Amino acid sequence: MAIDAPIDVAIVATSQTPSYRHFDDTEVALIMDCVNDVITQVGMDRHDIDFTIAGSCDYLSGMPFAFVQNIDAVGAWPPVYENHVEMDAAWALNEAWIRLQHGDIKTVLVSGSGKSSPGRPREVFHLQTDPYYSAPLGLDSVSAAGIQARALIDSGKASEEDFAKVVSRSRRDALHNPNAQVAADKTVDELLAEPYFSEPLRRHDLPPISDGAAAMIISTADVANDLCDSPVWIRGIDHRMESHFLGLRDLTDSPSTRIAAENLGIHDSPIDVAELCVNYSPEEVILQNALGLPEGCLVNPSGGPLAGHPVMATGLVRVIEAAKRIAAGHAQRGLAHASSGACLQQNLLCVLEGGDV
Amino acid sequence: MTTQIPDSYHVLEFPYTRTTGPVVGPFLTALRDGKILGSRIDGKVYCPPLEYHPTTAAAVESELVEVGPSGTILSWTWVAHPTPKHPLSESFAFALIQLDGADTPLAHAVKAASSEAISTGARVTAQWREECVGAITDVYFVPEVDAEQQKIEPGEGDVIITEHLISLTISEPLHPHRRRFAEGLLEGKIIGQRSPASGKLYVPGRGYDPMERIRLDQSAEEEVADVGTVVGFTEINPVQYHGQKERKPYIRCSILLDGSDQPIQGIDIRHIGVDDFRVGMRLKAVWKAPEDRYIEDLDNRYGTIPDTVVERWDPTGEPDVEPDMLKEHTI
Repeated sequence: MAIDAPIDVAIVATSQTPSYRHFDDTEVALIMDCVNDVITQVGMDRHDIDFTIAGSCDYLSGMPFAFVQNIDAVGAWPPVYENHVEMDAAWALNEAWIRLQHGDIKTVLVSGSGKSSPGRPREVFHLQTDPYYSAPLGLDSVSAAGIQARALIDSGKASEEDFAKVVSRSRRDALHNPNAQVAADKTVDELLAEPYFSEPLRRHDLPPISDGAAAMIISTADVANDLCDSPVWIRGIDHRMESHFLGLRDLTDSPSTRIAAENLGIHDSPIDVAELCVNYSPEEVILQNALGLPEGCLVNPSGGPLAGHPVMATGLVRVIEAAKRIAAGHAQRGLAHASSGACLQQNLLCVLEGGDV
Repeated sequence: MTTQIPDSYHVLEFPYTRTTGPVVGPFLTALRDGKILGSRIDGKVYCPPLEYHPTTAAAVESELVEVGPSGTILSWTWVAHPTPKHPLSESFAFALIQLDGADTPLAHAVKAASSEAISTGARVTAQWREECVGAITDVYFVPEVDAEQQKIEPGEGDVIITEHLISLTISEPLHPHRRRFAEGLLEGKIIGQRSPASGKLYVPGRGYDPMERIRLDQSAEEEVADVGTVVGFTEINPVQYHGQKERKPYIRCSILLDGSDQPIQGIDIRHIGVDDFRVGMRLKAVWKAPEDRYIEDLDNRYGTIPDTVVERWDPTGEPDVEPDMLKEHTI
C-alpha cells in the first residue's frame, strides 16, 4: 500500500437519518439523532470523545455561521475540541483520520448534515464555481452535468441507455434501503421514455433534493475492539482535485480519481463493494472507467446518491454504507468515494477492510 | 380568529466586489468594448484567459490575443427551465464553445429557438448586450447564421472591480415548535420549552436541549412570564450597508424572562434612550391589542418576540437586578 499511515484506525459506529424530501425541524435535530445513536452504540460518555469534526454548508441554510449552531447537536458545553469543514463530511473524516495519525488522541466523532429543501440547490451550487467567468452565468451543477453527459455520448464512451441502466439498477437496489428517498422498479425502456430535463439528462438522471445527516465514530486500534464487535479498518484515504474550469478538463474521464486509486493501491487485492458518489448517472460510467473495478464488485448496493442526496453528508454516507456491509460480513474489502464540485471536480477515495487489524 | 402565520422565509444577500487583476481585468475591459481575449501560454491559447499555468499553477506572463467572436460548440446541454440566476430568461443552451483562435473552450450561454438548433460542432457567434458593464454576461451566443452585425461603443476606463450580488432565497414551513411559539404570541402568550433532563427553560424552544442533547416536543412546552431583566444590550447606529432598513440609532437587547434559563435575544428598544438603559433593568411586555397582532419576519433561524405582537417593553419601576446575578447569561 502506497499510503503510509502508521496508526491503524477503525470505524466503530455509524448512523444516518433517512433521506427526507423535507425534514420538518432543524438541521441540529437531524445531527443530534445521529450523534446520540453513535454515542450509544459505543457506550462512551460524550465528554470522553477526544475530537469532533463536522461537514456542512452555510449557503444551504442561508445562514452565516449555521455550522456553529450545529454544535448544539454534539453538546457545546463544556467546550469541546472541534473543527468544521465547509465540505462534504467525507473530508471531515479525512481530517479525523489524519488527526488520529498524530498518536495523541484515540477517538473522533465525525458528522455531516445538510438541508437542501428550504433553498434552491441549483441556485446555490454555482456559487462554488469561479466568480469572474462562471458564477455570474449561473452555470449550475445540473447544467454542468448535462454538458458532461453530452461529452460522454459524443466520445462514444456511453449512451443515454447506459445512463438509464445506472438509474434502473440504483433505484431498484434502493428498494432494500430503508433510508432511501427515491426507490423504484423501472426498466431501462420505461426510463428512456421520460422527457428530458436538461438534455441529454432526464429528471431521473439527477439526484433528489434531500435533507439528512450522518455520523460516525472512528478510533485507534488499541480501543477499537472495546468499542464495537466488528471494527472496519480504514486502510487509506486519498483525495485529488482537477481544474474548476470545465474547459480545461477532459469531462469524459476522472484522472483525479485514477491517481487517488493508484495511491491507495486499490487493485492490490479484490474489492467486494464500492459505494460511489454518483450524483448524476453519467458519473458512474466515468468512475467505473477510472477505477477499473473487478467483475463481481457490487456497486452502490444502497442505491447511491440517486436514491438519496443529503448534501454534505452524501459522501460520508458512502463510507457508512460500505462499512456496514463489511461489518455485517457481506464484504471483506470495500471502496468508498466522495466528490465535490461540478462534474466530479474533486474526488476522495477511502479503502475499508474487515477482520483483524 | 385565525391569523395567517407565514412560512419561514428569508433572503441571504452578499454584494461581492472583487478586484480583477492583470488578466481578468483586461479581458473584461475588452469584452465590454466588443472584443474577446484569450491568453497564450506555452504556445496554446486559453479562453477564458488565465493568470497561471493550467498544469503547474505557476504564475505566467500572459500574452493576451484576440479570439472569436465565432466558435464551435464542443459540448452542450439544453436548459429547458432557466432559473433567475441564468443569463437568459427563455430556454437556452449552456455550451462549451471553442472560439476561433483559441485551443480551449469557454462555458457560456447560447440563445436558440429550440434544442434542435444546437448540436456538437455547430458554429455560434457572440452577441453583445445593449448595455455592457464589463462582466462575462455582457455577451451571449447565437447560431452563426442568426448573428447580427453590431457596432460596440467602447466604455470608459479599465474594469478593475466586478460586482456580483449573491442572493439566496430560503423558505420552508415554520418548524412545529416555532409555529406553536408564533401561535402563542398571537394569543398574548410566550411559550418556552423546559427540558426534563436539565430542568432548564428555553425560550423560544428550539426543539432540543443543547446542553443535554435531547429532542423536546410539545409536552415540554409551558407559558413563560412576559416580564424579565435586561442581561445585555448594544446601541446600534445603522451603517448603510446593502439591505439595511434602519436609519436611526436604537437599542438591541437580550431579556431574561422570569423563570427562564436562556435570554430571548434581538429585542429592539426605540423609546428609551441609551443613557437611561441598563443591564439589570426590569422590563415588561406591552402587548398590542389582540386584533392588531400579526406575525411577520419570524423565521426558523433565531426566534425573537417581534414588535408586531409586543408594542414595546416598558420599565416596571422595580429596583434593578444586581448585574453580578446575571453573569451566567451575558455574552
